[in-house]
Amino acid sequence: MLSNLLLAADTPLGHVLNRKSMWSDISWVGEIGDVASLHEIMLVLGGVLLVLGLIFSASRIRTGQESEGNARYVTRGRLAQIVEVMVVYLRDEMVQPILGEKQTRRWLPFLFSIFFFILVLNLMGLLPLQDLHHLFGLHHFLLGGTATANINVTATLALFAFVAIQFHSFRELGFIGWLDHLTCGLMKGPKGLLLVVPIVFAVEFAGVFIKPVALAIRLFANMMGGHILLATIIMLPSMAQLGLEPGGGAWFGVSIATGSFAVALTFLELFVAFLQAFVFMFLTAVFISLMSHEEHEDEDHDVDEVAAEVAAIH
Amino acid sequence: MSFALLLAAADGAAPNPMQPNLWVAGTALVVFSIAFGTLYIKVWPIITKGLDDRNDKILGEIKGAEDARAQAKEALAEYEQSLAKAREQAQQTIAEAKAEAQRLGDEMKASNERELAERMARAKADIESARKAAVADIHANASELAAAVASRILKREINSADQATLVAEALGELDGAGV
Repeated sequence: MLSNLLLAADTPLGHVLNRKSMWSDISWVGEIGDVASLHEIMLVLGGVLLVLGLIFSASRIRTGQESEGNARYVTRGRLAQIVEVMVVYLRDEMVQPILGEKQTRRWLPFLFSIFFFILVLNLMGLLPLQDLHHLFGLHHFLLGGTATANINVTATLALFAFVAIQFHSFRELGFIGWLDHLTCGLMKGPKGLLLVVPIVFAVEFAGVFIKPVALAIRLFANMMGGHILLATIIMLPSMAQLGLEPGGGAWFGVSIATGSFAVALTFLELFVAFLQAFVFMFLTAVFISLMSHEEHEDEDHDVDEVAAEVAAIH
Repeated sequence: MSFALLLAAADGAAPNPMQPNLWVAGTALVVFSIAFGTLYIKVWPIITKGLDDRNDKILGEIKGAEDARAQAKEALAEYEQSLAKAREQAQQTIAEAKAEAQRLGDEMKASNERELAERMARAKADIESARKAAVADIHANASELAAAVASRILKREINSADQATLVAEALGELDGAGV
């Protein structure tokens, strides 16, 4: 049924692409511009849910009154406990070893905001909201889709990361230090190496922009690719109707096989939703740490290796 | 066939996924800015403070437990030291009591021996004086008896000079007899 609905509605690509929502049909909204596409609706909804969910969680993590005794330190509620576990793990095991305690305190709000923002949008994208519209006979959608499968969204988030990285580098290094960093310190090195300074500078300067671009494309491609694959797999039984007898044994076998694979793939997508949010946040932290003082140069090599390993995952 | 038509129709309408859309990008910019600003003020300070408070509490409890343990260890050492000192004092007291008892015993023994010796000496002296008194009495009685016997035999009065002579002779005999 879902397979037929998908097929009737979209190509696999069409299923994950942005499109106009039902709100665009309202005349005054349509006059403003393309402000009510599904991804924009999901962005706003995701932002609201994120803020409300985290404010609720923070109220449960907050230290209670003294009259509560030791219980005032206990986090209450499953959502708050899940948020706390993620925050503590990411802070202590992932970010702090890279940035150090001081910089972690400074950058934790930005890094975790971007992590949870992407995570919420990724998870919302796993909900089959558009398909439910089809199920109820609606072909104009109120909401649905994966906002992080939109390059414009991921590019905007990467822009925030770019600003954060450069803000940190200028604050920590200053303009001269920033230039020195982009020449890998060769300006102070042997004179014979001065010839390669322009090449190194060009490569490093390009890297300044390539890093956030890579962040944007990695998130966009992973979310879009996963959803296209999932949609394709779910469409297979309907496609099989063209060559196989509908309701026959072979068609039934294909349906069972693809259905099982789609379920497994959905779990993989669930994992990818967390992984990609983590990778975006973690690489941003790594890039911030790379633009730090000279005394971190030794650590930078380790950070480079870790960043390469994380990037190699995807 | 219907599938192919649908696919073709959808493909024809599908936009380019890489196409820039400033409305979407702007929405993302505004939404994330507002969300980040709100979280920066309303969420992360509260969460980090809560976690820090708990961390401080746990560290404080651990430090308190370590301090209590150190104090208990110190108290145990003091107690053991006091116990050892008390044992030492008890041993010393027992040794002193034993020495005192020994000293008193020795003194009592010496006193008893001394008293016994004195009593023995006194007894010997008494015996000697009694013996001498008895001998003197015997001498006196013997002389009187001898005088009486002699006067009867001689039918005459023996004067005091004779009596003295006779007594001296008798005593001489007695001494010679070892009485």
